[in-house]
Amino acid sequence: MSLSSLDPRIARLALPDSPPPPPDKPELDQFETYEVFHQKKEGTAYAYVGPVHAPSLDVAFLFGKEQYSRRFACTGLWVTPTSAVQVTAYGDDAGSIYDTLPGGQIEPTEAPLSESAEEQAAYAAGEEDYDIFHLKKRGKAHAHVGKVRASSPAMALQQAKAVFGEQRPVVNVWVIRSADILRSDEDDRDIWSTTPEKKYREALAYKVQDKIERFKAENSENTPQA
Amino acid sequence: MYGSASTHDIPASAATGLENEDPILLAEFEARIARGEKIEPRDWMPALYRKQLIRMIEQHAHSEIIGSLPEGTWITRAPGFRRKMAQMAKVQDEVGHAQLLYSAAETLGKTREQMLSDLINGKSKYSNVFNYPALTWADSNVISWLIDAGAIVNQMANAKGSYGPYCRALERICAEESFHLKYGHDAVVHLATGTPTQRRMIQEALNRWWPPIMTFFGPSDKMSVHTEILMRWKVKMASNDHCRQQFLDMYVPKIWELGLTVPDAKLRKNEDGVWEFTEPDWEDFKRVINGDGPCNAERLAVRRAAEENGAWVRRALLSPKAKYVKPLA
Ligand SMILES: [Fe+2]
Ligand SMILES: [Fe+2]
Ligand SMILES: [Fe+2]
Repeated sequence: MSLSSLDPRIARLALPDSPPPPPDKPELDQFETYEVFHQKKEGTAYAYVGPVHAPSLDVAFLFGKEQYSRRFACTGLWVTPTSAVQVTAYGDDAGSIYDTLPGGQIEPTEAPLSESAEEQAAYAAGEEDYDIFHLKKRGKAHAHVGKVRASSPAMALQQAKAVFGEQRPVVNVWVIRSADILRSDEDDRDIWSTTPEKKYREALAYKVQDKIERFKAENSENTPQA
Repeated sequence: MYGSASTHDIPASAATGLENEDPILLAEFEARIARGEKIEPRDWMPALYRKQLIRMIEQHAHSEIIGSLPEGTWITRAPGFRRKMAQMAKVQDEVGHAQLLYSAAETLGKTREQMLSDLINGKSKYSNVFNYPALTWADSNVISWLIDAGAIVNQMANAKGSYGPYCRALERICAEESFHLKYGHDAVVHLATGTPTQRRMIQEALNRWWPPIMTFFGPSDKMSVHTEILMRWKVKMASNDHCRQQFLDMYVPKIWELGLTVPDAKLRKNEDGVWEFTEPDWEDFKRVINGDGPCNAERLAVRRAAEENGAWVRRALLSPKAKYVKPLA
């Protein structure tokens, strides 16, 4: 059973009635994946929102903005290739996964906010900044807890344990080299403001109860109740 | 949007394969779910859990994409600029839902490419209601309101399930659905409280859509094969009949208060608070879901055309160094 189409695309494209099944798509037809983090409100920690598929980091940023900020308040976005994220094991909801890491005697050195001569020396010695994210509860989203400075992702994790290891609970930790994250620019902040003319896509814009009450009142006048 | 495309359930005859699983890992897995913790992609999980979740999330994703087609065709013909904008926003939301869901399914090890191929090849299903046409603007309104209402009943239940990435996706999806529901209700109320012609239009659309709506949650529990293990693993969160009852309880009164009728003489709430209705024609449901519905061929043809027309763009953008990594969470 079929029906002459209501879809304008069908008529326009003159699609054949029953084409042979297409070949399967090649493995990377939809591109690589990137992981996206957003900031809901100025001053709050960046949190994981989900992945996107994209051909490059720049395009991943655009897709991420479209997918994750189109409908929700957002004041900033970070995007990183999935392959750039170092992931620890996952623990239980109660404890801390740091406790299962081999303990090292490491001086905590949280990455500073601005570069001094001392830091410049550290960078010259092959150290870099890493961003650290914690998952507090399974099923929830990873949130940014801060940066550390280290010479490798493994060292960064040790540093994270030294700096953030007291926090509870920590189900899982993500370590990302800071240079691998594409971040929205503070100066571009106006890209996050949404026009008030889009009220039509908010549930609150639809108030039907008055209409329904009026309709019911008019109808009960016409048809006397028994 | 989402409904039980077919039976989610394991065929009674099929082996669950549980006897091949490591009993210690299985016990830990079940204990985690029992104490209310979510499962994350890197956790050990039984093969059956993985398989059922991929199938369910993938079908949900396909339903969002295909479900946007009947409403999508009404964007250009929606009465008035504001309705065009709102209809467009809703359709865009639905496609976004598909993206979120494909990624969630992908964390379980099936690539998005394979899922999209299986959709076009007809190997995987989507919600059967979208194999019916939206003949008029009023049909589109009935979809926006009542199909989305059904989808919300399903999605709210599934959001309490055990798989982390699916829960994260559903949390975002449910937040957007509240707009869809209000938008759809508003559109239906507008016609139902309008001129006699408008009232007739919405009543006729409701008459056309009622039978598919009654099948939206899938076959009756009486006919379903055992789902006990999927319930225990919090893959399936509520039975088909339970969801259908909840839907009827919430929406039949809202239909009736508009002076509209439901085309089922048997529909009533009995003394025990249970809705009685004419059993849907499940043979017809099977026939349509297996390909012989009014729109099956067209839905897949549109999807396939989109796929093929975009291929050169994807080829041009693809970096030769790209390497597939599945998303993290
Ligand atoms: Fe949806
Ligand atoms: Fe929907
Ligand atoms: Fe929806």
